[in-house]
Amino acid sequence: MHDTLSLTLEYNSERCEYMVFSSIGFLLFFLPLFLILYGLTPDKYKNLTLLAGSLVFYALGDPRFLFLLLLSVLVNYFLGLHLGRKVKKKGKDDLQEIFDLDIKYKRSKRQGKRRRLLAAAVVLNLGLLGFFKYCARGDGIPLGISFYTFQILSYLIDVYRGDERREMSAVNLATYIVMFPQLIAGPIVSYGEVRRALKSREFTAAGLQDGLKVFTMGLAAKVLLADRIGLLWRQAQIAGFESISTPFAWLAAAAYSLQLYFDFYGYSLMASGLGRMLGFELPENFNNPYMAVSVRDFYRRWHMTLGRWFRRYVYIPLGGNRRGGLRTIFNLLAVWVLTALWHGSTLNFLVWGLLLAALIILERLLAGIRLPEALRLPASLMSHVYLLAVIPVTWMCFAITEMDQLRIFLGRMFGTVPAVYVNSGDWRNALADYGILFAAGIFACTTGMEKLFRKFKDNPLGAVVLVGLFWLCVWRLQTEGQNPFMYFKF
Amino acid sequence: MKWIKKWYYLILLVSTGAVYLVCMNRWQVHANASGDALGGSGTQSPGYENTGDGGNGGPSVSGGDGGWNGPPVSGGDSGWTPGADDGDWDPGDDGWTPGAGDGDWDPGDGGWTPEPGDDGWDPEDGAGDSGQPDDEGTNGQVPYMTVEDDYFADAVFIGDSRTVGLGEYGGLEDITTFYASTGLSVHKLFTANIVPVSGQKKKITVEEALQQTTFSKIYLMLGINEMGTGTVDTFMEKYQEVVARLRELQPDAIIYLQGIMKVTTKRSEQGDYITNEGIEERNVRISQLADNEKIFYLDVNPLICDEMGGMEASYTHDGVHLKAKYIEIWKQFLKEHAVPRD
Repeated sequence: MHDTLSLTLEYNSERCEYMVFSSIGFLLFFLPLFLILYGLTPDKYKNLTLLAGSLVFYALGDPRFLFLLLLSVLVNYFLGLHLGRKVKKKGKDDLQEIFDLDIKYKRSKRQGKRRRLLAAAVVLNLGLLGFFKYCARGDGIPLGISFYTFQILSYLIDVYRGDERREMSAVNLATYIVMFPQLIAGPIVSYGEVRRALKSREFTAAGLQDGLKVFTMGLAAKVLLADRIGLLWRQAQIAGFESISTPFAWLAAAAYSLQLYFDFYGYSLMASGLGRMLGFELPENFNNPYMAVSVRDFYRRWHMTLGRWFRRYVYIPLGGNRRGGLRTIFNLLAVWVLTALWHGSTLNFLVWGLLLAALIILERLLAGIRLPEALRLPASLMSHVYLLAVIPVTWMCFAITEMDQLRIFLGRMFGTVPAVYVNSGDWRNALADYGILFAAGIFACTTGMEKLFRKFKDNPLGAVVLVGLFWLCVWRLQTEGQNPFMYFKF
Repeated sequence: MKWIKKWYYLILLVSTGAVYLVCMNRWQVHANASGDALGGSGTQSPGYENTGDGGNGGPSVSGGDGGWNGPPVSGGDSGWTPGADDGDWDPGDDGWTPGAGDGDWDPGDGGWTPEPGDDGWDPEDGAGDSGQPDDEGTNGQVPYMTVEDDYFADAVFIGDSRTVGLGEYGGLEDITTFYASTGLSVHKLFTANIVPVSGQKKKITVEEALQQTTFSKIYLMLGINEMGTGTVDTFMEKYQEVVARLRELQPDAIIYLQGIMKVTTKRSEQGDYITNEGIEERNVRISQLADNEKIFYLDVNPLICDEMGGMEASYTHDGVHLKAKYIEIWKQFLKEHAVPRD
């Protein structure tokens, strides 16, 4: 039985450890060395150093597809140049245009050309992604291709639309796409967010240290929370889903939910911290998703850069919710099917996506209902309960790639599948062993954690705690080995 | 000294790191010198199960799991032992339906019946310390009998996470005793606090527990955790000490030395130090310790392995542990290879 994780890790098993942020190789070797080199590089060459360093970073993790990455960047650089060529507006500037009767025809021809060029670019990039995800089995997917493909597309579309000016410097564009903080697993940065920083940014003591602190929080989230609570989920898999009690099934689902969150959130924090160290403000990916009040709300807080990508480039162009109810439903389905396909090539992801779409559609239909004043507070509470019950179930569809195994697990959650060789005390043991982790995890899901961090990070006590956390994580990694970030498969 | 104020965080981070690394190095050297099985070197592939602090209590479950199905995985120290007074396994409960639903194996089918010389292992390594050629290959001729669960009433199962699995899913929790812990090894066996004391929060060591309670049968399965350090010889040296100590502590008990359970072929080929060849090597040596009077060698591997000699892939998720519904095979095997007490 393979779930996303094990597929990821099979793929990772021959990989060097360096490409994972939460590894000794990165923390004690790559990062310090890179920062020193970067610091010593004069400002105008810093992009070059970052680019070179990122390529080394990539090569250490996936040398086979380094060439593909470079080629992709180069080709798309030229595509961007062409798409970004200014299409002259109504002849204010050019005197000749006043007399040129062909002007409209020429302009529309140019528009047509641009449109076709964009279409070709989209097909090329998506085709490459689709090929590796769906056709090329066995050899594995190029590291980070799901992320950098979407990032490239966002740049090209923005340039085509005129929302952004094309990047003239190949080095800058390459740096934007390839820079190691966000190359492997996002956030999906839009070009506009880093355009200025690419041209000029500062490498300061404050930025470096602040970034290190944020990075430490991400590292701790992964190593001390995600990796460890994930063991409960692993226990369920080892025992076999048919052999877990119903309470245990729910605990395992909760454990997975927390693990997935802290793993990905931790990674995003590490990316953010690294960006900040270098002078970039990378976008946030998470906003306390488990505090959401509906599935719709949840996905406005979970993997936000992916959500906004689909909104900007699929949902809104399709009409969003402005073309009537039926069309809205269609648009939502389209977005979620595509989201599912982006996440994985097995059937369970489609189940996951469709389930979410159904829930969101349902929520929209119910949203219009006005409740009497008396019911508002309990309804608000109920919506939290609803969310916390529903999301773990959807995560199981996400986590379990074999449909039969999924059926068994869901059946154990709802008591519809008989248990085989269950140890009925298993959930009690689980609570005893993981209770503290659950408590810590739940606290870290609230805004309390961020507030604490913001309050203490700049004072000496906070500094001591953060430094301690960092080296605790290093110690943990040294004694326990590392756990590659779950989203690497993508 | 304004720059100190400006850079104090980085200074703190780096200096703490320096101190940490120096201490770690010193501890590493010390640990290696004393032949301790504790992992922890940054260069060493950190075992699939790391004893860490030898199975010490509570929710100090270690993470850093390299694979739910893959590379160096650390099961860490789960900290609890399904002892006899632990857990509420209830045969009347919804779970205990042997073979319900998806039983894809059938005890009566393809099963292995104890026939002399029919084991999957080479009978030449019979006699342990008796040194008499006549005793060779007698394991296949040991008159094992088949018993019921109550045979285990005065037995103790000692081992690592595989034995933990047996404790959780073998349905014997109420009948017998388990001194087992994830990550347990021969080096830590007697000193790790893994045995729960009823009514108390603390745990005691196996050594202490064996001094307090008498057992008639001891089942031992250890060996996979030690594969990352030392050699087969250093392992066997310690293993023999363990067996000797068990004899001292429980002079009247029969000792069943269980061959280390194999892993799947896929897991074995992963490229770390866990290989079926290594396991086989150790099993051969362990079997030589059996004298067939007080010490017996049992190897369940033939029943759970496929033609390639690795654990049947469908029996496991991570390649290392049997799924709950297949633990029954192991239990049944033990029930069919019991030595009568005289």
